[in-house]
Amino acid sequence: MIRLFAAALSVASAMAISQTGQAPAKPAPGQPPRVNADALTSVQFTKRIEDYVALHKKLEATLPPRPEHATPQQVDAHAKALSRLIAEARPRAKQGDMLPPDTRAYLRRQIGRGLSGPDAAGIRQSIREDNPGKVRLEVNGRYPDGVPLTTMPAPVLAELPRLPEDVEYRFIADRLILLDVHAQLVVDFMDAAIPK
Amino acid sequence: MRRVRHRHGLALTVCLISAWLVVDGTATVGPAAAQAPAQQPLPLTLPNKPDSLKFGVIGDFGTGKREQYLLGAQMARVREQFPFTLMLTVGDNLYGGNGPKDFLNKFEKPYKALLDGGVKFYASLGNHDSRQQSAYEPFNMGGRTYYTFKAPKQSVRFFALESSYLDPQQLQWLERELDNSRDDWKIPYFHHPLYSSGGRHGSDLPKRKALEPMFLKHGVSVVFAGHDHLYERVTPQQGIVHFVVGSSGQLRKGNVDKETGFTDAVNALEQAFLAVEIDGDEMYFNAVSRTGKVIDSGLIARPKRK
Repeated sequence: MIRLFAAALSVASAMAISQTGQAPAKPAPGQPPRVNADALTSVQFTKRIEDYVALHKKLEATLPPRPEHATPQQVDAHAKALSRLIAEARPRAKQGDMLPPDTRAYLRRQIGRGLSGPDAAGIRQSIREDNPGKVRLEVNGRYPDGVPLTTMPAPVLAELPRLPEDVEYRFIADRLILLDVHAQLVVDFMDAAIPK
Repeated sequence: MRRVRHRHGLALTVCLISAWLVVDGTATVGPAAAQAPAQQPLPLTLPNKPDSLKFGVIGDFGTGKREQYLLGAQMARVREQFPFTLMLTVGDNLYGGNGPKDFLNKFEKPYKALLDGGVKFYASLGNHDSRQQSAYEPFNMGGRTYYTFKAPKQSVRFFALESSYLDPQQLQWLERELDNSRDDWKIPYFHHPLYSSGGRHGSDLPKRKALEPMFLKHGVSVVFAGHDHLYERVTPQQGIVHFVVGSSGQLRKGNVDKETGFTDAVNALEQAFLAVEIDGDEMYFNAVSRTGKVIDSGLIARPKRK
């Protein structure tokens, strides 16, 4: 009974959001919130990522298929062509499109959870270790050649929303970037992602 | 009862170095180097049995510098005596860039003799490696950043992991694959070491916490890693022997933490790779330096089958 009620509330909330494009109003004092705000934020974020990956796949399908035994030149040319197509298909993409304020706040909280507990110092150290520090980043830009990739610790990844295999989370300095690994393209990034 | 027996300890036999052709003081070494005539045999201590699995391990190698080429030539020389067919890489396959010229100068040229001789490389990725490398055919990754494959001989299965990105999907995949494997030897290899006396990086404790319980649960006996630019064999940890083979390119000489208390052998003075032979329940290994010395050797015995 309780589950049915909760499910009904979720559906109602989703309908309200789909109609207005905004989260439902705050509940009256003393009333429980109608939705789990983080779950909703996570679902919306995942949907944006799925839309991005659908675009990636659609554009990749327009390219000549990469040969099974591709040379380094062919691998490189394919990645650059895909990157160019994606950038052209989202010319007005800017920082925060995939990671609006509510998503950033949510991801920051999740990262903080992954960095908590008795192993926190070691986990932070593993992020710092190969971190290249400040690097100039642009949405739709190429992940800089020769810049090493930081470790994304397992406890942090376990707290973050799951991504399709075409996209990865990575830290650069204290930024979190969404990296299209096949196009080597920065999809979006957020500042101050690692709580102090 | 797993054990490591030291057959020769540090067998420091000096070998003659062939005449290297170095062009412009850069990394170019002439093809004659790998075919230098009238060399003494290398002092390998591997049994070299006809039906054994023979393979090598290199790591942190893709510098394109002279030392990488010298070790590459030495690897070809080892193969003349010990015909290994596979080469595992524990990451940092290409430093500085991952463009077509990098693949050529930091991989295809230094290991040309091995590639021409039919040695199959099976790469894992390090923090300096673009994910694009997974599509590079000579790395045999099949487009995946983590994968598993069965060795062509003996009861051996390898697991190449992407240790900078141990997300739940990869960990679940690894658990499943280790569980499914009926092979006697389950050998994971990846970049970041769970145990290392390297002064620069050292042991990666969060990764140890994520991976070691799985390795113990599924009967892993040996692990290969890199990242720290040295060669190290770690005292068995809960029965597992950990090798750090980050020694195949640019070294950090003397960058060894002597206080870890778990080192059985370490060398940060000379580039080296590992030559390995598995025959039944026994694994023999020789760490061979770029000047042809065997800097470490031994035998790892896994539990006998019932």
